Amino acid sequence: MLALTIAFRFLRSQPGQTALIIAGIGVGIAVQIFVGSLITSLQDDLVDSTVGSSAHITLLPEDDGEQISGDLAEEALRQPEVTTAIPVRRMSGLYVSGDQSTPLSITGGDPEDIDSVYGLSERIVDGEFALEDGQILVGTTFADGAATGIGDELELVLPNGEPASFTVAGIFDLGAAAANERLAFVDAGSVGDALGLGDDEYSAIEIQVADVFTSTEVAQRLESPGVEVVDWQAENQELLSGLAAQSGSSLMIQAFVLVAVALGIASTLAISAVQKTRQIGILKAMGMTDAAAGRIFLLQALILGVTGVAAGIGLGYLLIWGFSFAPVDFDVRPSPALIAISAAIGVAVALASSVIPSRSTSRVDPIEVIQGG
Amino acid sequence: MADVLVADSIEKIYGEGDTATRALEAVSFEVAEGEFASIVGQSGSGKSTLLNLLGLLDTPTSGAVTLAGQDTSGLSRRQRARLRSDTIGFVFQFHHLLPEFTVFENMTMPLRISGQKVGDAERKRVSELLELMGIGGLEKKNANQLSGGQKQRVAIGRALMKRPDIVLADEPTGNLDTANTDAVYELFRSINEELGTGFLIVTHDRGVAEMTDRILEVSDGKLVQDVRNDYV
Repeated sequence: MLALTIAFRFLRSQPGQTALIIAGIGVGIAVQIFVGSLITSLQDDLVDSTVGSSAHITLLPEDDGEQISGDLAEEALRQPEVTTAIPVRRMSGLYVSGDQSTPLSITGGDPEDIDSVYGLSERIVDGEFALEDGQILVGTTFADGAATGIGDELELVLPNGEPASFTVAGIFDLGAAAANERLAFVDAGSVGDALGLGDDEYSAIEIQVADVFTSTEVAQRLESPGVEVVDWQAENQELLSGLAAQSGSSLMIQAFVLVAVALGIASTLAISAVQKTRQIGILKAMGMTDAAAGRIFLLQALILGVTGVAAGIGLGYLLIWGFSFAPVDFDVRPSPALIAISAAIGVAVALASSVIPSRSTSRVDPIEVIQGG
Repeated sequence: MADVLVADSIEKIYGEGDTATRALEAVSFEVAEGEFASIVGQSGSGKSTLLNLLGLLDTPTSGAVTLAGQDTSGLSRRQRARLRSDTIGFVFQFHHLLPEFTVFENMTMPLRISGQKVGDAERKRVSELLELMGIGGLEKKNANQLSGGQKQRVAIGRALMKRPDIVLADEPTGNLDTANTDAVYELFRSINEELGTGFLIVTHDRGVAEMTDRILEVSDGKLVQDVRNDYV
């Protein structure tokens, strides 16, 4: 294809200019990819640390003191988005040591069920994940404060005023100090006995969904009489509006970078169109149509766009790799979808910025060129 | 012999109203196939305007140009570009080679623009034309590595690639020294005799015009003389 050959030659005849604009597009796309991946990873991380190891939706009895049936967990699992739904029993306990007392929020349930929501088996830092009758799992902050270790007996005062004794089987780290201080896990029977509950009486149903942002929709579908539905998104409005603001500002940065890239390509191509006016005039005098002459600059833009985007993706990965050495407890993960979108936008912007130079070639008058020398 | 080019009362006016300038006025003549003719005139006489109209680079304000038997009035830009590239070879004062391309690529550019394939036959023609012009073997040289005389010869070769009916040359030796000027006219003459290609050469130099068989003289936009060189 002749226009493509000419486009290549034009670009090759000014290697410095071509390299500069490819570098410009490359840096722009790299920033897109890096900033986009950084923000996405940061938000995923934040959301994960907020709800990754807790319930996304919780079903509670509408009235305090009431209990709900474990059948609700079975029903919840019928929703396609729901990955886990477990019945749990909750009670408070007080750890008293000298004149100091520490309240604990104790969750009792089947060990496998608890593990599926809280991922405790992977978060045990000392001891083991075991919830036999009389065993208890506590958080690192609590264990430090109470100076308790694996195998120690933990004396608690239960809500009914009775004392109870548990053996510390494992110490977990859920990634948040509040959770590590307040939460404790025991088997379902221990809580049932302490609260005097029947076989199918539970304090709550804890539910996780595949995509945490579908929780509100799922929660609406789970509403039923006598049941209070608590959605994590409703409970974390501030976090969510913070994330939205962050996404907005990141989009704005990316949009301005794209505008800068577009201006760069457009100005380079406009300069190239002026520099090549003579050649365009000669080609037209030899019979090249206006459309074919315009295509030369469109193809130049396409070559610059594709090469620049490829360089940008490489540079973007390099930045992400470089960031892995930064002294932060956080990894940036490149998102293929984001990279594909950035690449598509980069090439589209390059093509769009060739419109003006392509049009200006149709105004080149071969007579002026060939007579002007 | 059939006429390859016919100018029928062509007129060219630039601008409108008070600023209108008449560059050409009722110019009529015919050029037959294989003719070796020149248009001579002072600077500003309208001879280049005439060449642009004959070469379909511009359209007359009134009158008609017939090229290779086809009336060109009413043709679109695209149609004119097509007819021009099929029937006319251009040679200008400046060589107008594309510096980004080799001699071979420059010579075959008109073919590629009109969508023709460049194969063995074309390769052979390029090398024959280069030989004919005394610059054989330069195919792979880049256009900007050549001397002025060589560049002009490549430009002439390019004009001949599509076997045009006629070559329109606008001050083709204006940038060359005397030795190269004589060589180029000898080349034109031998191409005319060997290949039968017609030539219409625009020049301000009467001495150059007298090397051709027919002289058309333009003055103040009018054709004032049309003579066979035998009678000059």
